[in-house]
Order: sequence, then C-alpha cells, then structure tokens
Amino acid sequence: MSENVYRRMTDLPSTHLLGGGTAMCAGCGGLQALHQIYDVMGEKTIFVNAAGCMTLLSIYPFTPFRGSWLYTSMASAPAGAQGVRDALDILREKGRIAAEDDLGVVVLTGDGAAYGMGLSSTSAAIDRGLDFLYLCYDNEGYGNTGQQSSAATPHAAHTATATGPSGHTGFKKDLFGLWVANRPRYAATVIGAEPLDLARKIEKAGRHSGPRLVLALAPCPTGWDFDPADTVEIGRLAVRTGIFPLKEYEDGRVVHTRVRRPRLPVEEYLERQGRFAHLFEPVRQQAVLDAIQARVDAYWAAVE
Amino acid sequence: MYRIRMHGRGGQGTKTAARILGSALFAQGFEVQDAPRYGAERRGAPMDSTVRAARTPIYERGAIARPDLVVVADETLVAVPAARVLEGIDAHAVLLLRSGTPGEVWQQRLRIDGPVLTLSDLPEAASATRFVGAACAGAAARLVPGVSREALVGAMGSELAGMSGSLRARSLEAGLAAWDAMAAHAGCVREGPEPSPGGTRPDWIDLPLDEARVAAPDVHAALTSVQVRTGLWRTMRPVIDPDHCKRCHWLCGSLCPDGAISVDPEGSVVIDYDHCKGCMICVVICPPHAIHAVPEARACEEGEGSR
Amino acid sequence: MTRELLTGNGAAAWGARLANVDYVPAFPITPQTEIIERLGAWFESGEAPGRMVTFESEHSMITAAGAAAATGVRVFTATSSQGLLYGMEMLYTVAGWRAPFVLVNVSRGLATPVTLESDHDDVLAARDCGFLQIHCATCQEVLDGVLLAYRLAEHERVRLPAIVNLDGFHLSFTREPVEIPAPEVARRFLPDFDPGAIRFRASKPISQAVAVLGGGPYSYFRYEMHRAAEEALAVYDEVEEGLARELGRRMPVVEAYRIEDAEIAFVMIGSFATKAMAAVDRLRESGVRVGLVRPRLLRPWPGDALRRALARVRGVCVIDQNLSLGRGGVLYAELAASLYGRPDAPVLVSFVGGLGGRDICPEEFFEMASVTREAVASGRAPEPRLLYTARELREVRKLQSVALAERHETAPGASRRGGR
Repeated sequence: MSENVYRRMTDLPSTHLLGGGTAMCAGCGGLQALHQIYDVMGEKTIFVNAAGCMTLLSIYPFTPFRGSWLYTSMASAPAGAQGVRDALDILREKGRIAAEDDLGVVVLTGDGAAYGMGLSSTSAAIDRGLDFLYLCYDNEGYGNTGQQSSAATPHAAHTATATGPSGHTGFKKDLFGLWVANRPRYAATVIGAEPLDLARKIEKAGRHSGPRLVLALAPCPTGWDFDPADTVEIGRLAVRTGIFPLKEYEDGRVVHTRVRRPRLPVEEYLERQGRFAHLFEPVRQQAVLDAIQARVDAYWAAVE
Repeated sequence: MYRIRMHGRGGQGTKTAARILGSALFAQGFEVQDAPRYGAERRGAPMDSTVRAARTPIYERGAIARPDLVVVADETLVAVPAARVLEGIDAHAVLLLRSGTPGEVWQQRLRIDGPVLTLSDLPEAASATRFVGAACAGAAARLVPGVSREALVGAMGSELAGMSGSLRARSLEAGLAAWDAMAAHAGCVREGPEPSPGGTRPDWIDLPLDEARVAAPDVHAALTSVQVRTGLWRTMRPVIDPDHCKRCHWLCGSLCPDGAISVDPEGSVVIDYDHCKGCMICVVICPPHAIHAVPEARACEEGEGSR
Repeated sequence: MTRELLTGNGAAAWGARLANVDYVPAFPITPQTEIIERLGAWFESGEAPGRMVTFESEHSMITAAGAAAATGVRVFTATSSQGLLYGMEMLYTVAGWRAPFVLVNVSRGLATPVTLESDHDDVLAARDCGFLQIHCATCQEVLDGVLLAYRLAEHERVRLPAIVNLDGFHLSFTREPVEIPAPEVARRFLPDFDPGAIRFRASKPISQAVAVLGGGPYSYFRYEMHRAAEEALAVYDEVEEGLARELGRRMPVVEAYRIEDAEIAFVMIGSFATKAMAAVDRLRESGVRVGLVRPRLLRPWPGDALRRALARVRGVCVIDQNLSLGRGGVLYAELAASLYGRPDAPVLVSFVGGLGGRDICPEEFFEMASVTREAVASGRAPEPRLLYTARELREVRKLQSVALAERHETAPGASRRGGR
C-alpha cells in the first residue's frame, strides 16, 4: 500500500478538481466537504446520487465533475452503485474494458435519504460486500425541499415542520452506529472545517475495498440560519464542543481522531445558529440546554 | 389587466415584494394573481415574481410575456442574461430600477423608449438589503393606479407579520419612503393590450428524431459547470492583499466550498472571480487577515482583485 | 367566511383543516411541502386538532394513511410526482381496503429528466389504481375540492380514497382570491367521519385486506371496486348540489364554458384550462364560435357528461399536458373511446404540450383553434402534434453544444490519480 500523502496541512492540494459554477448555496458545508473529498479521490470515479441538494450539482448541460455521474432516485442509490460496480467488474473480467477505464464507485447522498428511505438499500449493499465509498453529507434535515425535519435533525432544532417553542421533538439518529452494526470495511465521520482529518480518512478509505461509509456534517447557512461566512467557525465548534465526534471504524474498533479537552460548552455552537435561537430568546430554556450538554457529556464519558 | 414583473436575487425579498403589491391591489378591490418563479436558484441567484391585477377574474397564468411594469431590485441583474430582466419590455412598459444611476442614462444604455425610473437607497444603506423587498413594493404600489397608501401599509403589515418588531418597523419605513419617492410618477403604469388572434403565429416544428446519444439527458463532457458564472451571485467580493498573504493556501483553498481559491503557476494565491459566490468564509478564516471584503459594485468598477 | 389571497397549497391546507382531519402522515417533496408545513404549524399551535407524523418515504406514508383510515380516523396526506410513484404499490393496495381518505397531489413532471415543474404524467399514472380523481383549475377549487372529495370518498355507496390534483407552481405557489368558508358552514357540508364497519377495535375483531384464492373471489372484489367508482358519478352530482347549497359555489362534473353555440371546443384539465378560457374569450371577440369543456372528475370517467357537453360541437381540440410514451395524449385516447361509433361524432384533434412546466401561450391556443377549424372543414384530423417551436429547439441545441463538447482544460488543477 502507498504511503500516506496527507500528513500535514501543507500536504493539502493547491489546486482543486471539482468545477465551480454549481447551484449549491454560498457557504455550503456539504460542498466544502465534497470538493475536499474529490481532490483525494480523483476523477476516476463515478458518483451515484440519491435525491437531495446535491442532485442539482449536475443540471443539463452543466456538470462540475471531471469523472462520471449517475442520478438514480431517493431510495435506491446504493442499488444503482451495485449495478454499476457489477457491470464494471463484468466488463473487466471479459476484457471489454481496460483496467485504466475502471472507475471507483461512490454514492453521494444527503441525510434525508441516508437516515431514512435509503437505509434498506444501504444495508443490503453492505450485506453484499459492495466495493464502494458511501458519502453522506448531513445538513440535519430535508434541505432541498426547505429544511423539514429528518431523522438526522437534532433535538430541539427549529425546522420547517418543527416550528413550535420546543422545536424538533425527536433525537438525532446514530447513523454511524447503525453502519458499524452492519460491519462495513471502514466507516468515518468527517467535516470540511477539519480538512487534514478529512483528507487522511478519505485516503485511508481509498486503500480499502468493500463497503466504506463516510458521514460528513454539513453546516448549512440556509437551513440552520446563519451567515455563510460562519460555516467554518460553526463546523469547528461542532467538533470542539464534542457535538460532532470525529472518529473512524476499522477492524472492529471505533477510534476517535480528534478529542478536545476541555470541550467547549455546547451553547457556543448552538447560539450561532438561528435554528436554535428559541433556546435563548425570548426566554432562555436552561433545562433544554442542560439536557443537550448532558447528552454530549454522556457520550464522551463513555468514550473516555 | 396590469401585468407586473419583479426581479431580484434570492434573499432580497422579491417574493415578499410581489405579495405585498398583490395584497395591496387585492385590498383595493382588484382580482389578483401573484406567483414567485424559481427552480434551482439559491440565495444570490436571480429570480422573479409575477403580479397580475384586473377588475374581472384572471384566467391567464405563468410567465408574463409583455409586462406593463418591471421592477428590478438589483441593478447588477441587468447584465445577467439568465435573469431576463428586459424580456418583453416595449415602449409602453415602465421600468423601475433600484439604482443610483439616473433613469435617462439607463434608457440610453439599454436603448429603451419607454420610461425608466430609478429608486435610490435609503440613508441606512448598510442594512438596506433586508428592506429591499418592501422598498420595491412601496415604489411599485405608487406607480400602479388605484393603490392607496393605506392599502400599502395594510399589505406590508400582513406580509411582514413574521418579522421581528424592529425589522418590521424599518421595512415599513423603507416601503413608505419608496412610496413617497415615486410621487412624481404616481399612477403612470398603463394596462397593455390583450393578445388577440391574427397576430404572430407560433413557429411550430416537428421535432426531429435524434439518436439516443444526444437525446438522453447526458453531458458527454467534463467540467462544463465552469461555464456558469456563479460569480454573478456576489454582492461582496473577497480581495487578497498580496503584501499580507502568507500563502497558507491549504486553509483558504480547502475551506472555500466552491474550490475557487488556488495557487497559480507563479505561486500566488488567487481567487477565481468567475465562480466565487462571495460567502466570505475566506475573509473570516484567513489567519493573517489578509483577505478583505469589498462591495461588489465598487470592486467591479475599481477592478479590485483582478490581475 | 373570509376572502383572502391564498396559494393553492394554502387552499389545500385550509380544505384539510375545515374537514377536521384527524391524522396527516407526511413526507416533504417539492412542490407540495407548504401544505404539510401549514397543517403541521396549526396542529402544533392547537388551531386545528389533528396529528402529523413524518414518515421516511411516500411508500410508508401512503401505507400509514390507508392503515389509519382503516382503523377509523379521517386522514389527509399530500405528495407529488416521484413521491406518488414511489408509493404506487400502496396506492393500489390501500384503495382496495375500502377505507376512504383524501390525498392531494401537486402535479409535477416525472424523471427522467428530473424536473420540479408541472405536468400531469404523475397523477395520470395513478388513474387505474382505484383512487377517485378530482382536478382543480383554481385555488378556490382546491379548497372546495378537498371538502367535496371527503364527502364523495366517504359516501356509503363509494368508500374509495380520492386524489385531488392541483398543478405545481401554477396553483401550488400562486396566490389567488379564495373564499374560506366558516368552520360551521364547512361542517354542515361535511360532518364527522363515520368509518362504518371498517375499523379496528378490540370489541369487534376484524381481519382486513386478506388474501384470496381463485379468480372468482378476486374478480368479485375488483369488480365491486369498479362498480363503486362508477357509482361515484351519481354521488358526485348529489354532493355537488350540497356544495352549492352550503358553500354557494358550483363544481359540476364537467365545466362547459361558452359551449352553447360552439362549433369547436378545447378539452383540457387543470389550471391551464383557465388559459384556454382566456383564449376562448379572445377568439369569440374575433368571431370564432369556440368553447371549453373541462372535466373536473377524471376517475370515474364522466363519459356521458362529456358526450352531452360536446353534443353539438363539430371539432374537438384535446390538449394533453401528459404523454404516454409511445402512445400519445391520455385524455385524447380516453375521449376518443367515449365518442367512438357515435353518429355525428366530432373530429378529434390531439395536441400535447405544457410538459415540465412548458408554457402554452395565447398564440398557440389561437393556432390550435385554427387547426381544429380546418379539420372540421376538411373532415380529417391532422396527426397529433407535440407542441414545440423552432426557437425552443435552437435553445436546446445551444445546451447540447455544451453537453457534447470536448473535454475542458480551462479549470486549474492537474488530473490526479486516485479513485478505485
């Protein structure tokens, strides 16, 4: 296996592969992660897309990819990926394409599909040992339709379908835990605000074959209600408060790749976002804030 | 029937402006139909809304081909072909631009025979973006005959009810200031003629059969997105000060969501202004604070940042 | 009663609210999401006494809708396009449970290619599943249509779920004046839901939707659904009388606009039919005897009412905003079957347009009328036409020149090995 390329920040690329001119919002945390990932993965890839914000990356006749792309449906992108992977393998076996023409298969999905109706096809792809990278950009709601609650929406957040004083009554599903229970080859959480951690993990994922799943928290100015300029700061706070643990799963073990001590109080992350404004104004909802902090504390207590 | 089109960038309140105008007209007893028109547009990208008002039920729908009034919230949209600001404007149409440049200059520039009016910003220009919608609605309401100030106030009250108290008050102020600013042109908008049979016939064709290679929605090329100049979304431009730049491109280059920051062959960190959307992340995260935010209109004029 | 500017989505939400719906299984999809957001906000604030549950997909959402209706509550749901199709298996399944509810479809074109804009391919794909179908041309009809749909669906001689269709963007996001009836008026028209014998409770055990063996029993149950759907024609007229009495508005099964002395007629469904009305008015001013016939009910198919409306018309111009790939316009084929073999049947001319939100401009309506008059004069209909212009093709060719270009090297960044 080749050496790690990404050992220091200065190893990060100085030019970028993914084309500009896409319809993603200014400041999109998902696009930020995607372009970093594409730099590592390269253009010998086919991105198989499930319905979500990033479906609009390719609008006829425009595509930002140097490699390939297939839009499928909301629920079945992993099945589409299986079909492409199997067909490429058949073409290789039968000598109908050369090795250089092979492609790495990548599923690109939002949390709406990944945490919900896409679970069946994702789980089945892992069952079959599909050799693919599965990339979920998680902006914690159905972003493309106006930020309605999804199973990825954190407790108490305001969304288009959770407008009352308590916000979303559900709790964010532990998708990483679900994936790990399926025993994939590799799984990781990443965020664009931590580009070196991300690059190392994608590089590592690229050295494995089999099902490799990556969950990228995607701070969303439009959906979370903050100024696009703050995307990185909010991403860094997600990590430094411990709300979004950076970790990876490999060989049966989960390892945290960034452990900040002491953690910043979750409030510093929440107060920057309009979707949590009701926890502070007009009345401070201390009990809710304490409960959020307690859940984060409990997670890290179990880790440490 | 009055046919009105309102253009703006996503986030500038174009949809709200159309609803304020529509509600004001409705309160004055008109039959009204208003609708936003958007697809994949995001904050900053061009969009428009239509408002129709008549004394009898409205059967027409969809895009307005021959407007009586066109309101443009952001003058930079005139240069954006996709915004189609000038579509269908003829000599009878009134064009209202939010702009500091006089109307006569615009008339010459755009070779328009009909009236071109301008609405300059309020004194509190720094935060004016939030009130652009109200200002456009207030101005438009003054130009359409039969809309009273009371109806405008009522419409703003109901359409802006979701805003916080202080923001709502300032929106109202902006709307009424724009209403006042249009006094000299009150009621100048005229209803256009109805389409009638015997005019131009549609240029119908029998669609030829193309091979599947081209007839499938496939892009047989890479990177064609670079032809879309999302740089036109910007209202603020990040400019790198080369004297203070430490060339730690691994930060700004990685953290720019659109990959618009890279290192050129000479080793300088450069921003691709054709595609930079002006999110200002780079300005915020640059450790030596070597990137500054400059209003786009000024940057354009002064050639800031270009080499 | 108040008269307000409401979007079609807002009108649909009001219809559900005035129907006092108990349960709204939901899933977001453009362009219907505003409906569930409004209802959700009302439920949350207590302004309306219902419950909303978001599901993970439309297949699950429609299953839950049927199951809740079969348990005995009044159910409302909404979807569009890809979502309607994702749930297609369950549309057929729940219709056979004979537990009525209302599903609002906000019509939107189908992939491929993906679009957000309107046409009727989605709702017409569901025309065989057992749901009744009501098509609305205005935001007012959406509100009234939802109430009417509940009366119709829940009628003891029908007991089938119903789809109420409104066009995406052209109605869903467009505000028009809508009279919102007072709650007590709506309640006089539509009282509480009576589930009858189809419900779940411990005291009366019931096994619903069981399997069958044998063509005899299977056919019995399917034919009964069909009979019930046909019965909905007579029931519709009764219910519509009630609408006129209580709400003061009419929605006859077929709208016949300026048809009395018409020589030719447009036939259309949905919101673009009002554009046809505007064209009828302009053509009449120039001396053309033209009218519009618009079915509001599509399932059951109002064959008799259509035949009566078109009885003295010599040429019929059917404008389909849908396309059965490899066959043509759906309304055209269905209308042709209704008129086949009748003495003095009119000439039928077929146009397909308005797909994926493509506009149909006044000039096109005038030209379609002209073509239909020529067909009457010659006695022969031309081949069906797919509405498309030279200018539109030039625009597509420009896009294609980008899509078929050679590989670009204009962006910075050397190719990097990677991938697999």
